[in-house]
Amino acid sequence: MAKLLIVDDETDIREFARNFFKKRGIEVITASGGKVALELIASDNPDLVLLDVRMEELTGVDALRQLRQTNQVTKVIMVSGIEDEDTINEAKSLGVVGFIHKPLVLEELERIVLAELNK
Amino acid sequence: MAAIKIDYKKELESASKGMILIHDPKLLIKLIVRSIVQKVQLEHAGMILYDHQKNSYVLAISRGQAGSRIPEGFVRFDKSNPLIRFFIEKEYKYLVANRNALLSEDINKLLWQESVISNGNGTKKLLHDVSEQMPRLNAVACVPAYHHHSLLAILLLGQKHDGGRFEQEELDFFSALASDVAMAIQNAQLFEDLKREADRNRNLFIQTTIALGSAIEAKDAYTHGHTERVTKYAMAIARQMESAAVYQFPPKFFENLYISGLLHDIGKIGVPESILTKKDKLTFEEYEIMKTHTTRGAEILAPLTGFEECIAGVKYHHEHYDGTGYPEKLKGDEIPMVAAIIAVADAFDAMTTDRSYRKGLSKDVAIAEVEKFTGKQFNPKPAQALIELFKKGEL
Repeated sequence: MAKLLIVDDETDIREFARNFFKKRGIEVITASGGKVALELIASDNPDLVLLDVRMEELTGVDALRQLRQTNQVTKVIMVSGIEDEDTINEAKSLGVVGFIHKPLVLEELERIVLAELNK
Repeated sequence: MAAIKIDYKKELESASKGMILIHDPKLLIKLIVRSIVQKVQLEHAGMILYDHQKNSYVLAISRGQAGSRIPEGFVRFDKSNPLIRFFIEKEYKYLVANRNALLSEDINKLLWQESVISNGNGTKKLLHDVSEQMPRLNAVACVPAYHHHSLLAILLLGQKHDGGRFEQEELDFFSALASDVAMAIQNAQLFEDLKREADRNRNLFIQTTIALGSAIEAKDAYTHGHTERVTKYAMAIARQMESAAVYQFPPKFFENLYISGLLHDIGKIGVPESILTKKDKLTFEEYEIMKTHTTRGAEILAPLTGFEECIAGVKYHHEHYDGTGYPEKLKGDEIPMVAAIIAVADAFDAMTTDRSYRKGLSKDVAIAEVEKFTGKQFNPKPAQALIELFKKGEL
């Protein structure tokens, strides 16, 4: 079964996304911040990470930068609320397979995630 | 299991009253959605709202059991979304006309309706897509809210705890509630747009003011930096008065004082340069012309509504506490506080800077002068505040 890691500091978003993808036969693990996310990537080796840009403790971009120092393979999709060019460019330079802007269209989220997992 | 009977008319009335009292539409909708969940005993209720900045619909509020909630502001629906299309495209309106709502249990019936079958695959496909959408949003009923025929909101209703069906009476109630909410949102949005516009104009005006202020300075090089310093002193005096609790300032006073300080000499634009920069003592006639800068300033600013306090500061900053000043020989508390403060700040700066006709005084000599004329030329409250600032070494 494909394994998806959802990283967001909002409980409602984690729970909603967990249910949403579980119904589609995907194994979901969640992290409430960048630090836990890095640990989970190392221990559980998910196929794909949905990483929120704006988080209180260790932002998505910082977490991604740390991840890429040792791990170039784990696929990451950034989820962002703000359309900040710099953030987008930095994330792209660090290697992400996609970018989703909040508020998002559910069908798009589903399509992008499933497409990556089926590659 | 019988649900507790609800007096819908009464509920609607109290909700409408709430809408008048609460200006923040988000808060209002939160309250309404929460009370629906509690009173009708639903697993989940939510509201999709039109966001005119994003030109799409956003799930703004979601209330109910953990796991059934949809994170607020997380999900967007474009106008191509089946649920949105179903409610905005005219050709489907008749399908919900007698219900005021779309129920998932009705969709199967609708699919077999003669008109839907004869309409071909388009309608069928849309109904199909809608029936897939609704469970994703944890909704078994969707109630649209329109304002002038445009879709402003969709109220999402989840399962009832007891598994019961929605009565038509309930759906009518939700429909009325949803349109009231839509109206309230529309009003609040208009109000916010107006407020934003007003704020923008005000900021624009303050910037223009600063530009105008420097125009005066350009005309009279000897007073270079005068406007800025007077404004700085005036603000410091007012803050000192406030911290010493000698005066209770009305709201917006500090902003008005700031603008007024920057503009207090604006009327000098109408005074000939030969008088403004004259090295010798002014003749009686010249002095009379110089004095008109107060009323000229007020006339320049007169068309601006909402700036009355600033204008008073410009017009009366040469009035004396004992009634010997100009232009109107106002006395004591007849002189607005904004003007009384600027008067002290203005005099202090005039004394301590070099002028075309004399060298500036030292600060302690100038303070002694202010002290001497307290209660005569100067209102004692701002004068005392200036003296205290000097003693604290803050001038």
